[in-house]
Amino acid sequence: MEKVKLKLLYSDIRPELEMIEKELEVAVDSNSLLLNEASLHLLQAGGKRIRPVFVLLAGKFGDYNVDVMKQVAVPLELIHMASLVHDDVIDDSEMRRGQATVKAQWNNSVAMYTGDFILARALEYITVIEDPKIHDILSRTMIEVCRGEIIQIEDKFKLDQTVRDYLRRIKRKTALLISSSCELGATVSGTDAETAARLRRFGYFIGMAFQITDDILDFTSSDEELGKPAGSDFIQGNITLPVLFARRDPEIYSRLKNALGKDMTDTERMEIVKMIRSSPALQEAKALSDRYLDKALKELSYLPKGQANKTMRKIAMFIGKRKF
Amino acid sequence: MNDIQIHSKITLMEIDVLQALYQRTLEKYTAGPSIDRARLFFLLLPFFDGKQWSEDVEDSAKTVAIVYAALQAHDQVKEESPISKSQQLTVLAGDFYSGIYYQMLSNTNNIKLIQLLASGIIGVSEKKATLFEKTAMSANDVESAAEVIETRLLTIFYDHYGYSHYKGIAVPAMKYVYYSNQLDYLRDGVETNILRKLNMALPFPLYSERWILDKLDSLHIELTKALDIHPMDYRLKNFMLHQITPHQHLAEQLTREG
Repeated sequence: MEKVKLKLLYSDIRPELEMIEKELEVAVDSNSLLLNEASLHLLQAGGKRIRPVFVLLAGKFGDYNVDVMKQVAVPLELIHMASLVHDDVIDDSEMRRGQATVKAQWNNSVAMYTGDFILARALEYITVIEDPKIHDILSRTMIEVCRGEIIQIEDKFKLDQTVRDYLRRIKRKTALLISSSCELGATVSGTDAETAARLRRFGYFIGMAFQITDDILDFTSSDEELGKPAGSDFIQGNITLPVLFARRDPEIYSRLKNALGKDMTDTERMEIVKMIRSSPALQEAKALSDRYLDKALKELSYLPKGQANKTMRKIAMFIGKRKF
Repeated sequence: MNDIQIHSKITLMEIDVLQALYQRTLEKYTAGPSIDRARLFFLLLPFFDGKQWSEDVEDSAKTVAIVYAALQAHDQVKEESPISKSQQLTVLAGDFYSGIYYQMLSNTNNIKLIQLLASGIIGVSEKKATLFEKTAMSANDVESAAEVIETRLLTIFYDHYGYSHYKGIAVPAMKYVYYSNQLDYLRDGVETNILRKLNMALPFPLYSERWILDKLDSLHIELTKALDIHPMDYRLKNFMLHQITPHQHLAEQLTREG
């Protein structure tokens, strides 16, 4: 339902998004039956397609040509998909978006090769563009996203990390790819440098708000809404913002410390979830997410008015209010 | 160029690649990038043979070695659940190395090679996935998959820089090294994906060792013939035959073991 609502927000670029969806299907076509099946399985699980959306919308601030924009939008979504299929191996996830993950449906090796295949397809696709700036932005982003994930694993089960550690991590893990989507869309459509920089910052702020919201939803949503058990992040040792805020209460700290890294029954897991829900942590996290949203909206206010600006604003507002 | 100079050059390249891929956490928790010296030798073969070689070409050769390391990292991911921290980081190591190769080539504006290597990775990944498909494969299918997995990236590099005439030497030699390694795995009781498929393709699993030994013999003959007609310095030929693909004929092996 929420996904449907989000899609309604960008109805003005629906034809282009449908075109990109078809391109994605073509892009994951493989000579290997297994890779074909695994990639399609991943693609058909759907997704918000938020990265292509931002590429297209950012492109509207410049000389917009959908055939050029798709050369960036498609690979960005492919890179995101490749990282998801590998993340599921890292997190040992059985389900994603209510569907079995590639690693669960097949095995870790198939998930590895599917990710490699999709990532290579992304690079094959984007190299149609010869502008070195595009490749500079994207390659730096890819490396930083990986660094973010490496740090995430390093920081796992560390309850005593700082909020700053968390913010630095989600910047790399999530915000950078959204920020780069905006910057790449702007660059490929030839906007001026200031507009591109504003769109990049908009993407960064939105990305931060998006990830914080995701981390809040991990505690506030039901298992069914999430398509995975609520509180999964904590179970996997990922210390997110709600936990960092909640642990300031010594009693909560002690309970979290005891539970961290232990095998939990569903009842124990739900106790942790309820404890976080009843603490002020979720409100505090929401407040921080809102601050990032405000910053994003401020960047938009300096950009030329028009339909793209309006849609970006609506998406920003939606991210602040989304339920799952 | 003598043996010591060849070894030194390979070592220098190995160090450069390791430096490019250095990441503190990956260094601490993973086995580190797999840099095969035989592969480095073949990437440097045109240089050793005195062909036109520039810093750009050498950087490209390093990126090919990095792509091999990236793909190999993902080969090392096991079927365990949940996977260990070291394995989690091995997954990310492969992705990180891919990012590095992309960045290195984009820094030198070598977009064409990025594209070619990406196509190569697609081919390699497809062949690796084929080994997990339920459909039966013949020994020839297994062999052709192994050839793509092992040599596709190198031949892309050769073709891109006009070194295609080395393929006749490098392809059988790299396959030789590959099957030698597979033989070691087989004898150590390790079942690789290729060995698993080969066992299924042959009438009896025990035939696999014999099949590999025959393959090593035929590849050695193919390599020797290719070297005979190649106008390469004899010291380089000797280096290749004695240090990269030292061969013991099947008959000798069987006599020694029997």
